[in-house]
Amino acid sequence: MFLTINRTFKEATKSISRNIWLTLATFLVIVLSLYFISIVYVATFSIKGVMNNIQDNLNVSVYFNSETTEAEIMEAKDFFSKNGDVKSIDYVSKEDALEDFKKYNASDSDIMQSLEEIGENPLWSYLSIKVHNVEKYSEIVQYIENSPQKEKISRINYTKTKEAINSLNGIVKMIERIGITLGSIFSLIAVIITFNTIRLTIYARKKEIEVMRLVGASNFYIRLPFVFEGLLYGLASAITSMILLFLTLRFLIPLVSKSISVENVMAFYLHNIWILIGIQVGLGIILGVCSSLIAIRKYLKI
Amino acid sequence: MIKFENVSKIYEKDDCHALEKINLEIQPGEFVSIVGRSGAGKSSLLRMIYAEDKPTEGEIYFDEAPLSDLRKKEIPKHRRNIGVIFQEFKLLKRKTAFENVSFALEACGEPEEEIQEDVPKILEIVGLKDKMNDYPNELSAGQQQKLAIARALIHKPAVIVADEPTGNLDPESSEDILKLLLKINKLGTTVILATHDKMIVDKAEKRVICLEKGKLKCDDPKGKYNVK
Repeated sequence: MFLTINRTFKEATKSISRNIWLTLATFLVIVLSLYFISIVYVATFSIKGVMNNIQDNLNVSVYFNSETTEAEIMEAKDFFSKNGDVKSIDYVSKEDALEDFKKYNASDSDIMQSLEEIGENPLWSYLSIKVHNVEKYSEIVQYIENSPQKEKISRINYTKTKEAINSLNGIVKMIERIGITLGSIFSLIAVIITFNTIRLTIYARKKEIEVMRLVGASNFYIRLPFVFEGLLYGLASAITSMILLFLTLRFLIPLVSKSISVENVMAFYLHNIWILIGIQVGLGIILGVCSSLIAIRKYLKI
Repeated sequence: MIKFENVSKIYEKDDCHALEKINLEIQPGEFVSIVGRSGAGKSSLLRMIYAEDKPTEGEIYFDEAPLSDLRKKEIPKHRRNIGVIFQEFKLLKRKTAFENVSFALEACGEPEEEIQEDVPKILEIVGLKDKMNDYPNELSAGQQQKLAIARALIHKPAVIVADEPTGNLDPESSEDILKLLLKINKLGTTVILATHDKMIVDKAEKRVICLEKGKLKCDDPKGKYNVK
């Protein structure tokens, strides 16, 4: 068994090196398709990661009139928490708000100085409301605006974030769609090219195959080199695509976009490196071996 | 050893009756020449022995086992018991004489030590020991056919099937090949030879089976070439 694998593997490597241009074309097409698929995978996941992060920080801030007492605000809080869409409500008192503000702007001496000049706490107490589903924010705002508590409320703050979410959602969907389309097209081309390469190899080795059959080589022995050939194409392409992906993330992203943090994407890449290797190698092998098997079935008459 | 029982072969594609109700038996160790014009069915008959073709009707027995019982997986094993030689040699140009023979062993999973030991021996039997590292195009036609015979012999088959082995050779080389086949036969291997070559058949002075338009016309235990 080991002898058979060893010999057929050697046969496959010989066949690959014999026609270098054909090999190169096959290899490049598989690399491209794997590369596109993985770029899409990384892009959607990193954007989804960013989005989750944004969504976690999203809230509706309900600011109350200055004369509203803490008891009244707590009453409003109880009232709002009865709504099923509400996930949590935090009460931030004037003092807490000031603390947060000071912490956030500690490094900005101008702001800190003007705060001191004012002398008193200029901030209002507010309720920070989070909902289960991002889509529900506008409904919640309407609910608050129409509630009996509206008299006490001075301002509701949420609109900007909603737009940001909508546009991000659109981008993710678009990237997914483009990626899936390009990935599928390239995979199809990869299968066709590999299939054709294996078919040519079968033709080139027609005489050898005939002799092998005549001297009683097993069908397994005759087929194995072609399966190995497909496998090698897949494997080599997966490794190359992995390196290309790494280089793209490392050097290209900072040039193209300032809004995506390279550290985040690289962290994602490294964190998911085994999944990525698995996807690439798995897909590469599936593309290569499947194309071989189709060609063998169609052209290798034993 | 080999028995044809009512064997017919029809190629449906061009409605050609290649063989019609052939009945014959070949004993172990026999040397049989099969003669007939082109298209008489000689090659079809040989192809069925090494299971490259199946009869449309009837049954072929090899060592008393019907070949129709052979499963696809078992065919390679059956072929190792039959050495096949062709008019056009079917050698691999990119491989040396040694490699052409060793290739047959490699393809059947024989270990390297056995290959190193057996190949020179077989090349010596056919008289090509000093041509071991030559490529087929460096050999004469007669030597190429000897190399093909060496390859056919490497599995120590019970039967050698030769389809027009002297078709591409001059009379002198043809005689050489006949001598080699007779020598192999003397060592106990059954030889089945399909040929047009009158000189070969007459010199062999062995059993002659003649086919005409797919039918068995004569079967002479010590015959001469009698195709007109």
